[in-house]
Amino acid sequence: MGREFRQNKPLGGLTMFELDPMIAEQLTEVSLNSAVQVRCGNSNAFVVTASTMIPLLQSFGMGGVYISASRGAVEIIQAFESIGVDVSNIQFLDLVSSGILGGTDVPYSNVQFVDSPIMLESVLLRTLYILRTSPFERNFVFVDSINALSIYNDERMLAEYLHSFINTFRQREVLSVLINVPDQTPPLVLANLDLYCTALIDRGQVIIQ
Amino acid sequence: MMPTSVYTRDRCVTGIHGLDEILRGGIPYGSTVLAAGTCGSGKTTLAMEFLVRGALAGEACAHFTATEPSVKLLENIRQYSFFDMNMVDSGLINVFDVDVLYSWLGLDKATFDLDDVHALIKAIVDIVNTIGVTRLVIDSVTTLCYKIKSEQLIRDFLFTLGKKLATLGCTTVLISEITSATENAHWSSFGVEEAIADGIIVMGDVERMGHLLRFLQVVKMRGTSHSRAKHAIELTQLGVMLTPMLKWGASSDRTSRWGA
Repeated sequence: MGREFRQNKPLGGLTMFELDPMIAEQLTEVSLNSAVQVRCGNSNAFVVTASTMIPLLQSFGMGGVYISASRGAVEIIQAFESIGVDVSNIQFLDLVSSGILGGTDVPYSNVQFVDSPIMLESVLLRTLYILRTSPFERNFVFVDSINALSIYNDERMLAEYLHSFINTFRQREVLSVLINVPDQTPPLVLANLDLYCTALIDRGQVIIQ
Repeated sequence: MMPTSVYTRDRCVTGIHGLDEILRGGIPYGSTVLAAGTCGSGKTTLAMEFLVRGALAGEACAHFTATEPSVKLLENIRQYSFFDMNMVDSGLINVFDVDVLYSWLGLDKATFDLDDVHALIKAIVDIVNTIGVTRLVIDSVTTLCYKIKSEQLIRDFLFTLGKKLATLGCTTVLISEITSATENAHWSSFGVEEAIADGIIVMGDVERMGHLLRFLQVVKMRGTSHSRAKHAIELTQLGVMLTPMLKWGASSDRTSRWGA
């Protein structure tokens, strides 16, 4: 059993942005050596992402690596800044901006780049490297997102990668959080996510009122 | 029934993240290992980290550079945070320019004969013996052997050098420049280095959809069991890092830019 992480302080200061409080509650039940699949839809992706990330940063006092495959790291950082969340303590590994001319010239020092989302082994090694330099005792690896990685990678390779990735971080007691839009993910990858992840936060069904 | 005790050779722990796991504890002490790789595959960085880790453990190390001047080598390696110039200043890492060595020995000639080869071996062995070197890198043995025209002489040179260094307890990495790292390729320029070496580490690139992914593979290591799988490598500030290459992702070798 891994060490459990607990909520240190309540969420605060986010009056303009409606977080999903149930996600923070679900996160209190997982241990550090867990792998959490977080399912969301296209329309609620950022709400779910923020509702997962903010408790990790503010309530559990964790550091970690945010792997951005769906959008550039700058866009994600600015989205968090726009809701008043400081993400300067976590490191971003941007997999998409390097392929854009001038995309790596960014005003943030906590962003590193991997040439392409197909360089999956480099993503794993870069993440391990960042964690070796992390000043935090408790860390997470946040993958945004599995469906974005599946655009570029063969499903057999991605399924194999998930096996390697999740087990690597479980062994090191680093919490893995994997965002996924299920209807955009190949069946083999979905099946492997279900197999290897130890917890599921399902916000894949968006109810329009 | 009592289990039979298994003899294991003492290891030279490389200290390189992931490599000692591949080698089940490190390179067998006193081995001569050929590190064969294509250009830009990370051979020099790997070899320099091998020396730095030794120096950090208090071992005397030596690097013979034939491909670039020592000043340039040190300038390039200083960007890595695992390297500390004090190791050179304090004499734990000794860098020698092969061109300077040739001048000392009066070997400023186009080709070497048997006597020249023996003089070169004696000079290297004397340096190793005098300083008490336990980790040695020759970068590259390909450049060194360009002046030795006979295949038999190259074989004698490497065999004698390896034997003498092993007697002195020195673990040696011979860097070899190759143009292809695919399964059909030779792992040395002259075809004889691979037969003489106790171990062979191949480094190259796998092309994946237009991107080059560095890999390392231990194809031979006498005196130890080891993984023979391809491992992806990343050159980070903290040193070389390795992870097993995805099986579905390593199949594009045949379409490598280095040819089949």
